[in-house]
Amino acid sequence: MKIIFLNIFVLIFTAHLTAQTYSISGKITDTENKPLIGVNIILTGTGYGTSSDQNGDYEIIELTNGNYNLKFSAVGYDNVFRNITIKDKSILMNVTMTEKAVETQQVIVTAGKREQYITDLPVSADVIPSGEFSKKNFSNLENALRYVPGVNMTEDQISIRGSSGYSRGAGSRVLLALDGIPFYTGDTGETIWEMIPTPVIQRVEIIKGAASSLYGSTAIGGVINVITNDIPEKPATFFNSFIGMYDKPAHSEWRWSDENRYYNGLTLAHAQKFGGFGIEASLTRLEDMSYKQNGFSHKYIGFLKGKFEINPASTITILANTLNKKGGNFYYWKDSRHALIPADDQQGQTIKTSRYLFGAVYKNVINQDLLLNVKTSYYRTDWNDTSPAMDKSLTNLYRGEVQVNKSFSDEVVIVTGIEGLSSNVKSNLFGNPDMISGGIYVQGDISYFSPLTISAGIRYDYSRLDSLKGENALSPKIGLNYKLTDDLILRSSAGTGFRAPSLAEAFTSTTASGIIIKPNPDLKSETNFTFEIGAGYLPSDYFNLDAALFQSEYYDFIEPRIDPADGLAVFSNVTRARIQGVETDIKSDLFKKSLSLSLSYTYLWTRDLNKQKALKYRPRHIFAGSIDYYLWNFDLGTDFRYWSRIEEIDDELVRIINDGDLRAEVYVLDLRASYNFSSLGIPASLFLNADNVLNYNYVELIGNLKPVRNYSLSLQFNF
Amino acid sequence: MVYLKRIILPVLFILILISSGCDKGIEPRSTDDIPGFGGRITFIGTWPDSVQRTHIVVFDSLLEDANDFNIFNLKFISDALPYGVPGYDFDSRDSAIIQIEPGSFSYVAVVQQKTVDLSLLRKDWTVIGIYYAYGDTTHPGKLDIPDKYFVKNINIRCDFNNPPPQPPGG
Repeated sequence: MKIIFLNIFVLIFTAHLTAQTYSISGKITDTENKPLIGVNIILTGTGYGTSSDQNGDYEIIELTNGNYNLKFSAVGYDNVFRNITIKDKSILMNVTMTEKAVETQQVIVTAGKREQYITDLPVSADVIPSGEFSKKNFSNLENALRYVPGVNMTEDQISIRGSSGYSRGAGSRVLLALDGIPFYTGDTGETIWEMIPTPVIQRVEIIKGAASSLYGSTAIGGVINVITNDIPEKPATFFNSFIGMYDKPAHSEWRWSDENRYYNGLTLAHAQKFGGFGIEASLTRLEDMSYKQNGFSHKYIGFLKGKFEINPASTITILANTLNKKGGNFYYWKDSRHALIPADDQQGQTIKTSRYLFGAVYKNVINQDLLLNVKTSYYRTDWNDTSPAMDKSLTNLYRGEVQVNKSFSDEVVIVTGIEGLSSNVKSNLFGNPDMISGGIYVQGDISYFSPLTISAGIRYDYSRLDSLKGENALSPKIGLNYKLTDDLILRSSAGTGFRAPSLAEAFTSTTASGIIIKPNPDLKSETNFTFEIGAGYLPSDYFNLDAALFQSEYYDFIEPRIDPADGLAVFSNVTRARIQGVETDIKSDLFKKSLSLSLSYTYLWTRDLNKQKALKYRPRHIFAGSIDYYLWNFDLGTDFRYWSRIEEIDDELVRIINDGDLRAEVYVLDLRASYNFSSLGIPASLFLNADNVLNYNYVELIGNLKPVRNYSLSLQFNF
Repeated sequence: MVYLKRIILPVLFILILISSGCDKGIEPRSTDDIPGFGGRITFIGTWPDSVQRTHIVVFDSLLEDANDFNIFNLKFISDALPYGVPGYDFDSRDSAIIQIEPGSFSYVAVVQQKTVDLSLLRKDWTVIGIYYAYGDTTHPGKLDIPDKYFVKNINIRCDFNNPPPQPPGG
């Protein structure tokens, strides 16, 4: 074994040291000669590239003599292509990019585990750009997702096109990934949105509908992939500080504190390259006194990304993401007259959490047509609370994946891979179970019959939860993309998804607020079949309309219920469900981009076919709107969202929580203003936000009032 | 300024319309509107040392056989009553483990348990008092709670030396 490692080491470093190499560098500007930050520069056919730094400068190093095709791409700009020949000297090449009014050529890496234009996909997808987090002062990814078409949140649980209801801390039907590395806990299978520091996010890609044919379990409702910043060529430092204050509650009965309730945050990040090695480190501290009694939280979020360029064709990227949190417990209110005070049994309870994710990605462009991607990760969670049950859990989750992308021609691309994971838990809640699972997948994208692109894939998964019987799942999917005209793109896809139960759903044994939860050794995977047909209409650079019809059939839906035999709560395969809906999304830029409008509407018809009732926690109507007005260095904006009143909630919980039946439609209006000081030579921006300015009172989950009106001031520096 | 007139002002107008058109959402519920019941629980005799908790419970229908004891028939569980007291005035609108809703109920009782955690298994329950209406101790009294109405004088006598008949299935 030592000899093998030694040989690999020698091979890598002799290749690195002996080749005579050159570089391509330059500055990228817009038509007004302003530097463009974050432009992707790719040597096409190799997947190798970089991105421009804070000054618009870029540099691709360690290139040997030869011909190279460069592609420059950036959100909101037309792509630029250049053919370059390197012969015994480095090349200096400046590029000017032209603004595009609407982001029609957004590049997505999640839908097919490779770079594709969003207009080439057979499925619906959305992108949240990094700027959204700054201008709306979102320190948690969860908040930004509430404005994505077709998405609704019930507290921290996400539902894409009605995929999920709410089961506190047990399982998710949407897969979160960080730079392609799946990111859910080993015990509960839940998504911890607050763990990802928003300043390191370059963009968030959202794939809607079952994606199990590539991603396996958990992706039954869709995938959210957080792409982190590229490490710039020149050193860059980022600093952000904000302070906010909650207004008084709308009703005098709810005023439980005479103190002003504040929240604040601080982020310091730095990125730098040292030759072939680049590093980005970020530390965030967030404090929230909360508008709710015992709702406080203190968080420290760490992030580290290191990228080592072994040679022009291969890189190793390491990731580390940590969260240390202490917070109070507020499961639900005492009653509607004390809506911001927790029930008596939660008073004074706290929870401490430590979570650590470590990942490594090895990427090797073996040749122009062959790419190798190896991903490994380790996710450790450790939490304990001070409830009478003294619940605690320690989990280790190990994961590995090998992926190969092969282009047989410009018209045929195959993506295939194999993936495995192992998890072990030590907990008084779940016992000490372990879990293993593995999958193998292949997907082909064929564009022989232009303008038709056919995408077909299949994945086989095996999973076993401790003593439960192992289960197999086969998840096929087929998709079509047809460019009817230059302006009108049709797409359609059909496929199956599955979700293995989490260890928490199968093995939880605890008592909480009078409910005794027992394990279910007979729990099996849930499956679905999803179908969608959609169209994108882009008649001009200033207008983009997208619409989709979708339907999902769910089988063996896992939900908590009361076992009539003993009165205990248990997770069971109880429901056969159907979800149908329409989603529309309009984006428009007017008056030379000085005014941007975005509107989306989703209609959801959900049905529990056993009970002939709507599914729990799904609003029938979801609307979101956003307006931005740019004037000189000012940006004035407003966001509005509406969800219709939830039809069905947990009846069992209503019996336990005082006034638990109270709920209302959601009207949330946010206002914001920002000023960019760059024209004064100061690399800073100031943001002022007023959220829920109507001070509207609503819940997403029974007995949990969402934030009252609050104001924040944020200052950001980019050095 | 043209943009301001043509776009911003109409948008602001729409936003103001929206904000003035919608209410404030969830509001505190008046205690007058909350249905419930209350009364005096009287304890006679010495409290057993082994008792871990005491609750008032309400069942939809009578417990005539073991199958009637199930979670769907159980409509109310009060919070635990204090140990060792000679009497206790209760109000179902105070926090409870399972809330009561308007309806007609056939069996109201005071029960005790010896288990560490609250148990919903019949074998863990001992009935120490039953609500009887109008002094008729031959049948459990019926409790009728109209919508938005609080029923008073649901008084229950618990005699540790002379417990009432136990429901089947224990």
